[in-house]
Amino acid sequence: MGDPHPKLHATRLTRTFGRAPHQVHALGPLELTIAPGEFVCLVGPSGCGKSTLLRIAAGLLRPSTGTLEIRTSSARPAAMIFQDYGIYDWKSVRANVRFGLDIQRVPRHEANARADEWLTRMGLADFAHAYPATLSGGMRQRVAIARALAVKPELLLMDEPFAALDAQLRTILQDELLELTQTLHTTTLFITHSLEEALVLGDRVLVMSARPGRIIAEHRPPFPRPRTGDIRDSPEFTALKSELWELLRKETVPA
Amino acid sequence: MTTIAPDREESVLVRRPGPHELRPVRTHRRRRALELSLAVAVPVALVLWWQLAATQGWIDPRVYPAPSTILSDGWHRAAAGELWPDVWATTKRVVGGYAIGTAAGYALGLLMGSLSLVRAALEPLLDALYVVPKLALLPIFLNMFGLGEGPQVALVATTVFFFVWISTMSAVVAIPSGHRDAGRVFGATPWQMFRHVLLPASLPAVLVGARIAAGVAVLVIVASEQIAATNGLGHLIFDSRALFQNDVMFVGIVCVAVLGVVFSELVRVAGRLLTPWAPRDRGRGQS
Repeated sequence: MGDPHPKLHATRLTRTFGRAPHQVHALGPLELTIAPGEFVCLVGPSGCGKSTLLRIAAGLLRPSTGTLEIRTSSARPAAMIFQDYGIYDWKSVRANVRFGLDIQRVPRHEANARADEWLTRMGLADFAHAYPATLSGGMRQRVAIARALAVKPELLLMDEPFAALDAQLRTILQDELLELTQTLHTTTLFITHSLEEALVLGDRVLVMSARPGRIIAEHRPPFPRPRTGDIRDSPEFTALKSELWELLRKETVPA
Repeated sequence: MTTIAPDREESVLVRRPGPHELRPVRTHRRRRALELSLAVAVPVALVLWWQLAATQGWIDPRVYPAPSTILSDGWHRAAAGELWPDVWATTKRVVGGYAIGTAAGYALGLLMGSLSLVRAALEPLLDALYVVPKLALLPIFLNMFGLGEGPQVALVATTVFFFVWISTMSAVVAIPSGHRDAGRVFGATPWQMFRHVLLPASLPAVLVGARIAAGVAVLVIVASEQIAATNGLGHLIFDSRALFQNDVMFVGIVCVAVLGVVFSELVRVAGRLLTPWAPRDRGRGQS
């Protein structure tokens, strides 16, 4: 918190959509500080502006007022993982993973090597030349994760990446991501509907209010790193989850 | 989008509001004003340039009469009532042929889109006919219908038919199976299926085809009137050229342009009213 050099720092950030008579106040005012290497999870009801915040951080959208500062050494520090539609049907799995590197004009030789390394790491090596349409949902999202991490982003933005997957796959991918992020220490802003997901993955869990989204609670799950998915079964986990759920339910009901 | 303030080897990337966020109303108004003035200024500038070229004698005003000459000539002809018979003749043929072609194309497209056997039976044949330049069919229509309105209307109808048919068929084929399944589980009859699912689901794509067809209909009628008609704007244009009345020729061309724009705009507005759920598009058909 008191870090003099936060990775990301938002000050009085707001965003409204539309013009005067039909204006929708989607977000904020919001203050947010993320330390380097921190994994922050953002939970909140539908339409609370979570994705808006993420899109501002990604540079896809500008804030209406306030600023968001990212401490970085590159002009494009962020990589984003979308809920769906993120990977291209017309590129092979390997070409998809290589996409960010191709955009950054990494020489083909090196790009292929890095892509293959990530494919192996994500267990996709056998599918390098397949098209995404032939893959299952879980594998497609692994491709998306590999594509984002292949560019070694300073800031990883994840917008409900596992929302479209079934419950079992979600758990498996959460565990995979947990292991991955604990070795990489990439600063991450992770958006989710699922409290369980947030508690398993996050160093810090922020609960957002209904629209306009503000941060109404902050929790640091008391599970030491490196942690594994087993913490889901611990009584503290269940207690913390129901505590947060109480908060979130109040925000969800009126919507 | 972003600015970088240098700071040792690391720097701070700031996402801050841009002009659009700081003064939304003003920025939006300026943008609209700019778009509108561009839409007006570009044609006006071109016409003025043409006028200047004609009056300065850079181009031969007998071959390319000045816009002012065309305008005053058109005005006199319209006031004297010489222009309207041709405009009316062309409009009648376009609207008649368009109505027949759209109805037939939609019906067959729907049938072929829903029933794969009909599609299998007719698709190769229609694909082959689709690529035949429709103007090449005019002699056949002349043999079938003789001189008069028949061949003109038939030619427009055939042209329009293929555009509407192909867009309807692909739209119906592309309807997600979930839409059909939901109707089928409730036990929808073929008519109910058409009324509640197939018609609305395919309509936006069909209307795109209908709009392109509207432009092409005008295009085709001008060509066919030149070949085989004694009135109409196409006849007027080519007849005046033969008589070396180039100003009248340009009056005809301007009338065709106006007719084409009005017609495809009408189809677009009708389409917008028919599909209130579809995303708005402001583009014109590529006619």
